[in-house]
This record gives sequence, structure tokens and C-alpha cells, in this order.
Amino acid sequence: MKLKYCWAAAFLLAVVATPAHSQERSAVKQGFELTANSGKRILMFRPAVRVGAQSTGGMFEPNAEWTEQAKQNLQAALEELQSKLGNELIIAPESYGEDAQVVNEHMALFAAVSQAVIEYQFFVGNRLPTKKRDNKNDVFDWSLGETVADLPGADAADYGLFIYNRDAYGATGRKMLQVVAMVGGIAVKSGEHVGYAGLVDLRTGDLLWLNADAEMGGDVRDVDGSKKRAWQLLEDFPGSNIGEE
Amino acid sequence: MSPSKSRLIVAGALILSAFDMASAAPAPVPPPFEGVYQPQGLDEVGLWHEDDEGERNLASSSMLIRDENLTAYLKSVLCRAVGDDRCGAVRVYVLREPTFNATMSPNGTLRIFSGLLLRMRNEAELAAVLGHEFGHFERRHGLMRFKKTRSSTDIIAWAEVLAGFSQNSDVRLSYQNLQISVYGNLFRYNRDNEREADLLSLGYLNKSELRPQAASEVWQNIMGELETSASARGLKKPKFDRIAFTASHPPESERASYLAELAEPDGNSRDDGKERYRSALAEWLPVFLEDQIKLNDFGASEYIISRLSESGWTADLWHARGELYRTRGNQRDLVYAAQFYANAIELDPSLAAAYRGLGLSLIKTGEKSKGQAALGRYLELKPDAEDANMIQFLMPKEPTL
Repeated sequence: MKLKYCWAAAFLLAVVATPAHSQERSAVKQGFELTANSGKRILMFRPAVRVGAQSTGGMFEPNAEWTEQAKQNLQAALEELQSKLGNELIIAPESYGEDAQVVNEHMALFAAVSQAVIEYQFFVGNRLPTKKRDNKNDVFDWSLGETVADLPGADAADYGLFIYNRDAYGATGRKMLQVVAMVGGIAVKSGEHVGYAGLVDLRTGDLLWLNADAEMGGDVRDVDGSKKRAWQLLEDFPGSNIGEE
Repeated sequence: MSPSKSRLIVAGALILSAFDMASAAPAPVPPPFEGVYQPQGLDEVGLWHEDDEGERNLASSSMLIRDENLTAYLKSVLCRAVGDDRCGAVRVYVLREPTFNATMSPNGTLRIFSGLLLRMRNEAELAAVLGHEFGHFERRHGLMRFKKTRSSTDIIAWAEVLAGFSQNSDVRLSYQNLQISVYGNLFRYNRDNEREADLLSLGYLNKSELRPQAASEVWQNIMGELETSASARGLKKPKFDRIAFTASHPPESERASYLAELAEPDGNSRDDGKERYRSALAEWLPVFLEDQIKLNDFGASEYIISRLSESGWTADLWHARGELYRTRGNQRDLVYAAQFYANAIELDPSLAAAYRGLGLSLIKTGEKSKGQAALGRYLELKPDAEDANMIQFLMPKEPTL
């Protein structure tokens, strides 16, 4: 019977952060092409966006205002970019009852599959031997299964877009700690900006494209920053030549 | 680390906490409820915002038990515990999760685990636990813990960086001592929150129409379960009065004793709602028992079943006990299991699953023909059972021409 914040926070301390590798990777399913201006309809599911500050001790401090702003900004920026690409972005309808359960399960499934891709195929450190071989042969073969076709709104769209963002901006205390620590030659990381986005075929459930970045740029709290972020999320989008931000 | 010093700190924490609840008077009636509350300030608004998103997911989670009658009943118990003015805003969610727990998050989301419902024996016991959770909510402990954890980790972050400048071992040592004392303080703070929630819970119960003495019995029961669980595994009796450095809650025996003292003595003759509780949970009991048995904690499951049987053995309870013994599956267990299934069938001859268990147990203990007869009865009663094809394999083969 405990409230949920105490343990997580106490042990997520990581005061002296290990230097983060610059981590960005994306992959496209072999043979998949989305030519520009093909007029495809993309169904965007409720993006998981969390924006807050990072306390001196490294805790995530949720900020409601920033999170809401970021959601709005990101959605507007994504719509603008997709229309530039010649695709139509449809916002997934609010679902009820069993539909809501199905959506919930698929969101969780997408998160789990993406984490598996990020952990075992994308980044050095924990790659699986088979996935390493896939990387060499340009194979990107993951799927959520055909049940995605039953998602509400799926019948009126070609692809599903899932977005995940988590931003923690270093609080003043954290920045001061960083500066003081630097004097002593200790590396303290201030702020954390993680994002990934994925495109799923709504007929087969195959993961067509995934872009993951552990150090994203662009301040999602303002409109221009969000445009930059959306651009980074979609920079390797299939068929994309969104060019310069 | 300096062992003597850290021991001193831990001992200090023990002494302080022992005196916290030493006042042996019934818990006071809580002040009038302040009414609708909206989060205030950056931290609280942020926490609620995250919590709202979490609740949104929870509402469409596949772990939920979506039984409107059950949920409404549990809400009514909460209302009778804390009063109608207080309970209104709470949303109750029942999770199918066989551990002993319930949580209330900052925005007023009450999560009740099915394992809690299995262990409670009456409305008064349940009301004590729900009142405790509501106490966390009313006093906004979630926010306070968040702030306390943040200030503690801030201190440690600064101390770690500053201590890192020095090569001097004394400096390192005092940093380590500081770290222990800050963490010790934080854990103690959390335990004090739990004590405050207990105090509030008893305040609500004393005022309610339910029997407040039940609160202490919850913990006596839990100690009994933990003890039986340990002894079935050949372990020593757990120490219920010891506070581990990182313990999130006060120890069980401390809670049992101060809860007994906080209960209004005159309340002992009140109703504890045992019958109402049993009938509201009757439909779910077999499911919760099945989940508990799958935890593979023989002693605890045996304890729970025997406590439930105090008010009379039912077919479901005999069947659950049969399942418990059969899934442990030693030859000696199967003999008992067969007996328990037979008892269940005697009380309810239409309980298909009991014939299945009986048949499987008998076949393993060498009574093949009797076992096949029981399995045959199972298939008769439940021809479209999921495992019908598998059970068919165990049946006598039709003579081939």
C-alpha cells in the first residue's frame, strides 16, 4: 500500500550520469517504399508525451503545462510535415469500451516491440547475433500482428503512426550542479530528451519504419522547437525528402 | 561506512518510531471534509496530470475486473468507511492481481487488487484498508513524498559532487554517513506517512457503523499467513517487529498493536458485515482462489483456505484445496487432493472441475479405472471444455476391430 512515487524516485537517482552515447538510429522494412505525394492516409494514435523538469538529484518532475503545449505543438508540426510529404494525417478517434481496450493493448505492444528493436537491433551493447546479421543484410523484420486491422479508424487509413516523447529539462539546481561538477572534472548530465516514432502497416501489422533517438533536439515547449523535433522524428521517414528543417 | 554510526542511526529511527503511536487513546474523529479539491502549484498539477493519463490507461487495461456490481459494492464499503461526503470523488478500479495490496494515487484513483479481496474476511477489515488508502489521499501524501524524495536526492547529489572534489578519506566517509542518514530519514518519513494513514483510517472507522477492531485483525491475519508460508518452506518464523532500513511500512506487529489501541472500545459490538461481504464476493471467490494457488506459495494458500473455511466448508473451498494439493503434486499430496475433490463433489455434484481434478489425481495414484470414470463425468458435465481433447487421451481406448 504505497504511493507510487517514492521508490522509483529514490533509486532512479543516477547523480553522476555515465556519458550518454549519441544514439540515433532508424530502419525501414526491406522493400517498403512510400513515394512522395502518393496520398496515403496515416492514422496517428494518441502520442505518449511527457514533459517536465529534471531535479538536482535527477528526478523527473512532471509539468502539466509543458506537456499540454508539447502535445499541441507536436501535432501541428507533424500535420504540416506530413502534408508536405503528400500524406494525410488522421487523428485516431476517441474509443470506448472494448475498442479502448484493444487500442490500449496495441499501444503497449508497440512500445514493447519498439523497445525490443531499440535494445536488440539498433544500438551497440546488447545486440542479438541474429539482429546483428539482419543489420548487415539490411533486414528489418518486426510485426505487431494482423489484429491492428481491427483498431478503430484502421479501415479508413493505410498506415498507423505511433509517437513517443519524453523530455526532462534540467532545472536550475541541476544546471548549477552540472557547472560545479564540471570544475571538479565530474560529468553530470542535465536534461534528458528521448523520442521514437514508428510506422505500422494497418493491414499486416508489420513495422515499416522506426526512428529512435536518445538525444533529441528542439524544444517541444515552443512552436519552432516542436517543428524541429517533428522534423527530427520524421527525418528518415520513407519517401521523405523533407530536406532542411 | 562507519558501522557504529549507521547502526546508531538505525537504532535512533527504531526508538523514534516506537514512540510515535504510544498514545493509547482511540483515534480522533477526522475534521470535516474540505470538499472538492483541485491540485495547486506546479508539482501537484504536474503529478495529477501524469496520474490522469495513467488512469486513462488503467480504465482500458486488460487487468481490470469489469464487474459493475462488484465495483459498486466496493465503493459502498468505502463510503460507509469514510463517509458519503468524502467518498464521492473516488474512482474504484479492481485489478486481477493476486497480491495483498491497494493503492490510492494523488488524483483519487483507488486501485484494489484481487489478492486483497481474497484476504479480507468482512466489510470492516476491507473498510480499514480502504480508509487507510483514503487517508493517504486526504492528506496528499503522494505530493509530500514526491517533495521529500526530491529534497533528499538533491542533498545527496550536491554532497556527492562536493565530496568527489576531495581525495581525503574522512570526507568520503562523512559523505557516506550523510547518505545513510538522508536515506534513513526518507524511509522513516514514508513509514510515518503510513502511521498517519492508519490513524486516519481508525478515525473514520470509529465514526462509522463498522467494527473498528477489525483493522488490527487484518494485520494479525497477515502475520499468520506469512508465518505459515515461511514454515511450509522450512524457513524461520519472520520477525514481525523488526524494521528493515528500507522498509516502506511499519512492521506488522507494531501496526496490529497500535491499531487495536486506536479502535474505539465501544465499537467492538458493532456489525462487521461478514455475511454481506461473503455474498458480494461469492461469484469471484473461486477465481481469486485459483489465482492465489498459481502463486505456488503452498503455506500461504493453505492458510487462506483454512481461514475462509472457518465459517463453513463450501464446494469451492474443497475444490480449491484439492487444486492446491494436486498442483504441488507429490504422491502424498494427490491422495489428499482426491479426498478434497470428493468432499467438493459431495457438496455440489454438478461441479465439473472437481471431477477433473479427482480423475487426474486418481490416475496418478494408481486408481486408473476410478479416475477414468471421474474424467468421463467431467466430460459429460462440460462437453465443450477447453481441455476436452486432452482429457479424451486419458480415457479408455475404444476397442478397435
